[in-house]
Amino acid sequence: MAEVKVENLTKSYGRLVAVNDVSFSCKDGEFFTFLGPSGAGKTTTLELIAGIKKPDSGKIYIGDELVNELPPQERDVAMAFENYSLYPHFSVYENIAFPLKAPTRKEKLSSKEERKRVEEMANLLGIGELLDRRPQHLSGGQRQRVSLARAMVRRPRVYLLDEPIAHLDAKLKVAARTTLKRLATKLGTTIIYVTHDYKEALALSDRILILRAGLVEQIGTAEDVYLSPVTDFVARLIGDPPINLIDGELVSVDDKFLFKVNDEFSFEIQKEILEKAQRIARQENGKLKVRIGIRPVYVGVSEEKLSPNSFQLPVYAVEHEADSSIVTFELKDTFLIAKKNKKVNWGISDKVYLDFDQTHIHFFKKTLELSKR
Amino acid sequence: MAKAVLLKKTLFWIGVAILLFVFVFPIAWIFVTSFKGRVDIMVPTRIFFIPTLENYIYEFYKMPLLREMKNSAIVTVASTALVMAVSLPAGYSFARFNTGEGHLLFFTLTTRMFPPAVAAIPFFFVFRNWGLLDTHMGLVLLYLYFNMSFATFLLYGFFREIPEELEYAAMVDGYSRLTIFRRVIFPLIAPGAAITTIFCLIFSWNEFFFGYIFTRTVARTVSFGLISHWGSVVVMWGPMAVGVGIAILPTLIGGWFMQRFIIRGLTFGAVKG
Repeated sequence: MAEVKVENLTKSYGRLVAVNDVSFSCKDGEFFTFLGPSGAGKTTTLELIAGIKKPDSGKIYIGDELVNELPPQERDVAMAFENYSLYPHFSVYENIAFPLKAPTRKEKLSSKEERKRVEEMANLLGIGELLDRRPQHLSGGQRQRVSLARAMVRRPRVYLLDEPIAHLDAKLKVAARTTLKRLATKLGTTIIYVTHDYKEALALSDRILILRAGLVEQIGTAEDVYLSPVTDFVARLIGDPPINLIDGELVSVDDKFLFKVNDEFSFEIQKEILEKAQRIARQENGKLKVRIGIRPVYVGVSEEKLSPNSFQLPVYAVEHEADSSIVTFELKDTFLIAKKNKKVNWGISDKVYLDFDQTHIHFFKKTLELSKR
Repeated sequence: MAKAVLLKKTLFWIGVAILLFVFVFPIAWIFVTSFKGRVDIMVPTRIFFIPTLENYIYEFYKMPLLREMKNSAIVTVASTALVMAVSLPAGYSFARFNTGEGHLLFFTLTTRMFPPAVAAIPFFFVFRNWGLLDTHMGLVLLYLYFNMSFATFLLYGFFREIPEELEYAAMVDGYSRLTIFRRVIFPLIAPGAAITTIFCLIFSWNEFFFGYIFTRTVARTVSFGLISHWGSVVVMWGPMAVGVGIAILPTLIGGWFMQRFIIRGLTFGAVKG
């Protein structure tokens, strides 16, 4: 068990800077997740910590030890690879037991203890029946669980898990998530976890580090990144349906401030959030531009005008879920989505009233292009 | 429809028969000839003849066939062992670390791009000065030279098939590169290493040119020994047929047992994790 500290880590592949000046400190026993889209540098960062790749610059500490110069086998970390990397000539049992037999390990297990450990881990992950098979004869999901078992069977200082449950089918994924969380809590070992799935990140992590093109965008707890995203990128990454991002301008009319997209779509900004709006807004062609973000659940929709701040838009489409409806409105460069916890039966082009819950409006600088795709 | 299939099958088997005849006839002819008396050999149209062992007796008692076979065996096995000892790490290094950024690998290959005679001349003078002419050691070094580039290139291809991540996984699992090579990489390229070994053995056993130039009596190999039946006065067809028949036996038997393995080695690939 150990903390992991990374300082100013940088790694380039030719001209591409995969990891750009990344610093963070992951506490002892913490479940720490790298979240980001593909190509954000998550796996590279993990490989740098494992020692598989050498950083161009920066320092990596495991415990209090600077490990930059240590080869992977001396770093005492365990890793699950996204592409499984199982040993094709070993059986599942031998694959999982392989790290236990390594000459560099201090704990020497008798073959009885070893079998117990392997079987325990295999049963936990639901692959106890497959121990005698070869990896070629397993499905993708089974291979992934073998790979995870191989990583988790040891008791290293840090677990590094690269998308360890990404290829499991939906039901199995939830079960594996639960298993993993329980295991993590029981072992109390530091885990660094890589995923592109925000749900996994929110469900498992103590803290989440969000990477974007090699740069750290935000580090925080699940609540932090969900409730107070620092950029529109973070906001967009988390949540389904995705957060609404709308560009508009701040207009002062009399002593009120309006957020105005166009003539039909504008509403008054309440005093409580006005100060923040003004702080983030920027002058652009003589106009005060700002981007707002609001999650679909905080966009109220109804047939009646509920508040003086309501405004009307025509319905673009209505989709139904089991006990809710998703209503979409078309804006110039994006869609506005509202999630209503009740089934509604509006037709296309019906005009309905929208009402934003202003305590949940975020203001952002523009760092991300909007599109309807 | 059935007719077309029948025709196709017939044509196929006729093709196979022609190929078989082309490949098998010379070998069969050699073995048949080895049992013929001197007169029968000179009348090739004679199909029925009284078999005799005189050629065998002559070849084994009057000719140095057994010593030559021993020489060939020593040189073949020793050179192949050396080739593998050099080529395995070399191929691994080229595949994994891109040693020499391709130039070194290309340089290794170029040693096979000119006629062996070009190499033979300088080697001859070096060997003469070092007293390596007509020695086992000399031939072993020569065969090492001409098999190494080929073996390295073949093994390089096999090593490249193995994903690097597999090694990373084993490193993180706590193993050193050397142990990983032994326990993970080598078992995976074993079919490839086997096929490379077999090729080296066959090439060395059959090699004639260097054997002819660099040996005389002490280290004379089988393939050289065979043409010594071709004297200035008389050609000893019978004993030569015996020698040829015996000299091709190791390759023939080896190939027979290894054929499944060879096919597996040649189609080796797809080591998916």
